[in-house]
Amino acid sequence: MSFQEKNITVSLVNFTLILGFYSIKVFQLIQGESFNSTNVFRLWGITIALAVVVTILATILTHIGSAIIHAIKTGEEKSDIEDIEDERDQLIDLRGTKITYLISSIGGFLSMLTFVLGQPPLVMFTLLIFFGLVAQIIGDISRLRLYRRGF
Amino acid sequence: MGKRRINNNIRKLRFFHNEMTQQQLAEKVGVTRQTIIAMEQGKYSPSLELAFRIALAFDVPLGEVFSYDPETESN
Repeated sequence: MSFQEKNITVSLVNFTLILGFYSIKVFQLIQGESFNSTNVFRLWGITIALAVVVTILATILTHIGSAIIHAIKTGEEKSDIEDIEDERDQLIDLRGTKITYLISSIGGFLSMLTFVLGQPPLVMFTLLIFFGLVAQIIGDISRLRLYRRGF
Repeated sequence: MGKRRINNNIRKLRFFHNEMTQQQLAEKVGVTRQTIIAMEQGKYSPSLELAFRIALAFDVPLGEVFSYDPETESN
């Protein structure tokens, strides 16, 4: 597995966990009848902050972990991991991003549709983040698929 | 996914160039070893620029490294 694939796998795991956390919290808010703007926007903030912090930390840890594993495998003190991005990596990233944007757009449209159909705006805001996370996960899956299957 | 139309002889050319490793070729043409592996397995068709760099690395014409099979396109 290349460094890029490891990075994507870590991102996939992160966003799946964040989506799980978000879904559980939303479910708890609905169950506890505290689904109001204060709580929903607080959850928005927590989720976005979590996504940013966890992504940065995970990238650093993946880099360190890969360097350690590479050093153990090769026995070199100064380990050179293949963290450069070549044209294939950029192309895969581009295609993954395209899929992420597509899913986000569809999700955004569906979220707004709930508002048009008479649901409160909070439902729309809750769904926006939900589809954003789902789009990121599907984008990561498609990137991994392109690495494995080729194109 | 359709059949791959661009074939290559990278593995064979590496063998005939002092058994050049994938890593050595990757460093010569400025890509990762994973990309060389993907090309050899027919999972990736390189850009024109990379194709030329590979041909230059082996010091052979482009047509000797890559070939285009129009038959599979019409199928």
